[in-house]
Amino acid sequence: MLESREVTKVFGAKTAVDHVTMKLEKGHVYAMLGPNGSGKTTWMKMAAGLIKPTSGEVLYQGQPVSIASRNEVAYMSTEPYFYTWMTVRDVGKYYQDFFADFSMDRYQALLRRMDLTEELKTKALSSGMMAKLKIAVTMARDARVYMLDEPFNGIDLLARDEIRAAVLEYATSDKLLLLSSHLVEEMEAIADRAVFLLEGRLVENVDLETMRMERGISMADRYRQIYGHTEG
Amino acid sequence: MLKLMKYELRKTWSTKAILLAVTAIVEIAYLIGLYADKEGTMSVSVLLLILLAFGGVMVIGLESILTLHRDMNTRQSYMLFMTPNSCYKILGAKILECGVSILLTGAFFFALGVLDITLLFAKEGQLSRLWETVQQFLSHFSVNGRALDISVRTMSAVAFVLLTAWISLISTAYLADVISAALLNGKKHNGFVSFLLFILLSYVTNRAAGLITASIHDSYTLMMVYGLIDLAFAAVMYVVTAMIMERKLSV
Repeated sequence: MLESREVTKVFGAKTAVDHVTMKLEKGHVYAMLGPNGSGKTTWMKMAAGLIKPTSGEVLYQGQPVSIASRNEVAYMSTEPYFYTWMTVRDVGKYYQDFFADFSMDRYQALLRRMDLTEELKTKALSSGMMAKLKIAVTMARDARVYMLDEPFNGIDLLARDEIRAAVLEYATSDKLLLLSSHLVEEMEAIADRAVFLLEGRLVENVDLETMRMERGISMADRYRQIYGHTEG
Repeated sequence: MLKLMKYELRKTWSTKAILLAVTAIVEIAYLIGLYADKEGTMSVSVLLLILLAFGGVMVIGLESILTLHRDMNTRQSYMLFMTPNSCYKILGAKILECGVSILLTGAFFFALGVLDITLLFAKEGQLSRLWETVQQFLSHFSVNGRALDISVRTMSAVAFVLLTAWISLISTAYLADVISAALLNGKKHNGFVSFLLFILLSYVTNRAAGLITASIHDSYTLMMVYGLIDLAFAAVMYVVTAMIMERKLSV
């Protein structure tokens, strides 16, 4: 469904993503893991068509990501990105204006579930409320691919449970979910596959159940093996 | 495209609302001065209205350039560039919204000016002298050594040439800013380089327009040709800018 072919992105002297080749298939929830600077966000932005690769290409359904693929790929950035003049209602209207797969009913249901009201101004939201709003508006799309960058950042345990439930509700067999997070244990409960990145390079794209069965290690164990020396 | 334009308008609405509110206050001051026979108030109001008219058109153009800059260089860029719209559409919506806003602002202040002058002459009971006075006033101005006449035709040409010149300048600024964001991003002194590029592009387009129109002496034809050249430059700038955005811009 999503394919990365020798994708490299260089920013000045820094190589953020280094010849990453991998395939991500529908029907799976992928955890994209790696410490800060490992290239997770940059790769996701390239898959969303926001960043142009220096070399290589990201394909969606066999075609390079393009304006057309944005109709079916929903990306949620880790940073708040809404216009400061917007209310929560305006955010929904904006998505409704531009994405044919956006459901206002689903958006409103998700808002209720996350204790957000439409009158709230986005610039007045706490980081936790902002995280919930980003999830609500992204998951209100009936996209084929969801890419959520650090969806659990800066939010408490209860809100995290709510977000996890909302995300998993839409993880069906015809969809692909890709989530990046530093919270490895949290991701273990959601994902069935993991992509490990280190210094911009792909270390492994692995099925978690197979890894548990064949190597007897969990995602967290593998994380420690790969990054233990780098994170100190 | 209309939806993109709607949001472009929304992004710049605050400035336009402030401009309208200030204009309303100054207009009220003018009317008070006119009907309460306070010449000082009236004179200051007229001066302020003229400043607001020119300043307003300038500010709308400058804000459009700043909005594009923010849309490429802040996190808000995701809002625009994650939507399934090509850069041609995104940039086209920006230019159209800016052009329409400038046109409407110009028309608004022109209508307000006509209204205020008419009210002044009506109050003085000299409405019949209005046309003659305006003609006299305009005879002090000239294009290529020829005095301006006050026909609708000339006024339309002046409005056309001012509008197209400003749109051409804004398109040039768009191109310089996009080059800075897409091609020189992360490079040293990219802001300064894009400013120099803007100056250079503006100089080249003006020089080219000057050469093309060198043999035209009729002021009306000169203004119309100048306007058409500016429009052609703006169209070229638009295509080149959108092409760079489409191929090279990372947000």
